[in-house]
Amino acid sequence: MGHNDFLSNAVPVKVNTLNFIPPKQRELKKSPSMPSFYKFENYTKHRSASINRSSIQLHDTNTPSRIPELLQEPPVDTVSVEDSFVDLYIDRNEESPVRSVFNRASSFQSTTLKRRSDITDPQHFDRYGFKKRTQFITEEEYDRWWSEYSQYCIRRKHKWRNFLLKSGLSLKNDLPEKFPPQSEKLKRYVRKGIPAEWRGNAWWYFARGDEMLNKNKGLYSKLLKKVEENKNNKNIIQDLDVIERDLNRTFPDNIHFYRESFQKEEPFMIQALRRVLLAFSIYDTEIGYCQSMNFLAALLLLFLSEEKAFWMLVIITKKYLPGVHSVNLEGVNVDQGVLILCIKEYLPELWSKMEASMLNTTGQKSISQFEILNKLPPMTLSTASWFMSCFVGVVPIETTLRIWDCLFYEKSHFLFKVSLAILKLSEEELLERKLSISQSILATFSNESLEHINSHGSGGSANHRSRPRVEDMTQDDYDMLFFQVIQTFPKKLLNPNDIFEKVIFKKKMTLNKLDQEEIDKVRKYVSSQRDKWARFNKVLNKDSSNNGNNDPGNKMLYKNLDDTSSIQEGTDNISLSNEEVMDTLLSEVSGFKRISLSGVNWNNSIKIRVKNIRQKK
Amino acid sequence: MLQFKLVLLGDSSVGKSSIVNRFVKDTFDEFRESTIGAAFLSQSIKIKDPKTNQDVIIKFEIWDTAGQERYKSLAPMYYRNANAALVVYDITIADSLLKAKSWVNELKEKVGNSTDDNDNDNDNNNNNNNLVIHLVGNKLDLVEDDPEMRSVATEDAVKYSTDENLLFKEVSAKTDFNIKEVFQTIGEKLYEIRQKELDNNNNKQNKGEINISLPRPSTNDSTSCCS
Ligand SMILES: Nc1nc2c(ncn2[C@@H]2O[C@H](COP(=O)(O)OP(=O)(O)OP(=O)(O)O)[C@@H](O)[C@H]2O)c(=O)[nH]1
Ligand SMILES: [Mg+2]
Repeated sequence: MGHNDFLSNAVPVKVNTLNFIPPKQRELKKSPSMPSFYKFENYTKHRSASINRSSIQLHDTNTPSRIPELLQEPPVDTVSVEDSFVDLYIDRNEESPVRSVFNRASSFQSTTLKRRSDITDPQHFDRYGFKKRTQFITEEEYDRWWSEYSQYCIRRKHKWRNFLLKSGLSLKNDLPEKFPPQSEKLKRYVRKGIPAEWRGNAWWYFARGDEMLNKNKGLYSKLLKKVEENKNNKNIIQDLDVIERDLNRTFPDNIHFYRESFQKEEPFMIQALRRVLLAFSIYDTEIGYCQSMNFLAALLLLFLSEEKAFWMLVIITKKYLPGVHSVNLEGVNVDQGVLILCIKEYLPELWSKMEASMLNTTGQKSISQFEILNKLPPMTLSTASWFMSCFVGVVPIETTLRIWDCLFYEKSHFLFKVSLAILKLSEEELLERKLSISQSILATFSNESLEHINSHGSGGSANHRSRPRVEDMTQDDYDMLFFQVIQTFPKKLLNPNDIFEKVIFKKKMTLNKLDQEEIDKVRKYVSSQRDKWARFNKVLNKDSSNNGNNDPGNKMLYKNLDDTSSIQEGTDNISLSNEEVMDTLLSEVSGFKRISLSGVNWNNSIKIRVKNIRQKK
Repeated sequence: MLQFKLVLLGDSSVGKSSIVNRFVKDTFDEFRESTIGAAFLSQSIKIKDPKTNQDVIIKFEIWDTAGQERYKSLAPMYYRNANAALVVYDITIADSLLKAKSWVNELKEKVGNSTDDNDNDNDNNNNNNNLVIHLVGNKLDLVEDDPEMRSVATEDAVKYSTDENLLFKEVSAKTDFNIKEVFQTIGEKLYEIRQKELDNNNNKQNKGEINISLPRPSTNDSTSCCS
């Protein structure tokens, strides 16, 4: 079957669509810019008849094609885990055909599958090599869902293919190197999911990887050289230990990263991961290494060659999530502040509960937006990781990948949008759980606890108490439930379409109005608010050095803030421009209380504020 | 049932998540994903009221934090309202005890410690002057296999804990040695403190209303966890 016949095949299900093989990351002895997987000849030479699945390989744009031969094979419409599974055990020594992939694979099967079948049997792994079963999803659930979702993926790929061809783009060996120009249609296609085996190319294309790479030709290999030369020098590679400690703690449930105890050599993926992270740590010394980048790099390595994965990591940390991984993590705090404001604006019900919780824990009667942005509510302890790892490990893998598709096409605001969507969906779960808890209160009350209450002569009569209501929960109970839901609910989002169809594609939902421009503005706003806070604090600590309390929650500060004159007096020793003071006060005026009561459009109020400030200039 | 907030602190890879997972789910993974930000879990234990000998249920809300140095800037969020802190080090890595000590210092400075009997000038019932700090030396199993591997002597840690008035134990998340005991001790200590507070309150209010705690609903799924 020729290539074009293959493409014009009208029956999508017949098409070999879903075979996914990660690029084979291997030691780059010669040159790091070399494509980082196996030479095709070596790869195919030893293909045994027993494994005759065809596989469409992710490839480098500048790598000669290796696909045609594979296309000779009968297309299959199932996902072959075996292929990607076996790749892990390709021997590093390509000159030695005896210890070839498939010999290794078969010996692997005969020895290890018996021994640790639960761990290594391919049927337990998904197409990327992740274990299907997680703490929250059974393998049966996964398989049931996948039997449908894989059909969805095949349909989507068929549509993609038509779309690309209509746009006049060619598919070399079923792999696009270019994508159509930005449009609503393309956005919709991306949101519905990029075919897995195109993802590497698509992400790279949308994130303008080539621009980055062309500007920095050869740099990655230079960095690797430097790493190699300073292998044990902690003065130059300061994050050596932290990186090393995390290598085996990255995707331990993925066959490409998992290290069997009998394996003498590290999996290639781990070696590649080490190189990418070490190179990055000396490339961007402001960031160095931050835990969570291991997950970003690891996921990239499943889809892109090593060098490209490195540059994508640079792009993510610079362009999409600026400051998030920096040494002081200020970017994380800013983004969490932004998320809080978004919740206030788009999920007012959830917001009111969060506010109640904050008042409860601080014991205050009211809390200013200024304070919230700086102290951040405890929920952000969980949501911070959503941003740092771009949802890797937060939601199941297929869902993560759909988020990444949109992240690279729509930029960082999509992370906020999807966070809101997840929070919105968790609200439902929260309600359900609350109900079941009410029932458990009933159960508790009908047992020993009644005695307990009676013996203590509690005011509430047993009759009254035996009708439990949701309100019986204390704020602490509610908070705890809330944290639990926030932690566990996303992990159950096996089906990406739950997020996309229930929220993201619902035009009527106001949270879908959120766009990049807004996020950029709010990021600036929050970051300036936090800046001011820090500066006020400095002043405050000077003023009240006898106090010894450097907690920013100091009440003095709020007194000052409520009164313009005292701000100006109180800030003699720092240079706060009028504009900054105005900005602070204006932002206080547009505090969330007014918004939630009057429904004032917060976005407009920000725009107006910015306009006001400009006029004053 | 009484509810307490407990926070885990300590250098990366000393085994904080492993300890929590042993305690909450009774499992151990050789390779566990490193924690990003923080993970929330909860687990209940039973202790005996020393006076009445009745069972009391203590429910821990546990915040397991990420150990890398830079995450320290997020730490105040975790320990802001904590009742107890489990500060963990790895007995095979001397440096990790230094990190643990700096956590202890920070906690004492910012939160206060159970030994300080200061009167509080506000009525905020969430004040943290009664923070219980438990120091834990983890990975004891490694030393049992090979004594050479130890780089923190038990006596040193004991002395430090006594000086600083901390609870202390050496444990192994891998073999489940002393893990439950640590939480049991913390639970008992917290209960003791809570009882004292109640007594104080009652004395103050003379024969005012008794501040009984109604049984709390259990937020079922005690095993929920994020890692
Ligand atoms: N031998 C042994 N290994 C342990 C023990 N506890 C933890 N480990 C191992 O130490 C490594 C790190 O454990 P974690 O629980 O992830 O460490 P952590 O303190 O949570 O690390 P961060 O999340 O990075 O802060 C893992 O590989 C564990 O398997 C133990 O008691 N004995
Ligand atoms: Mg951990």
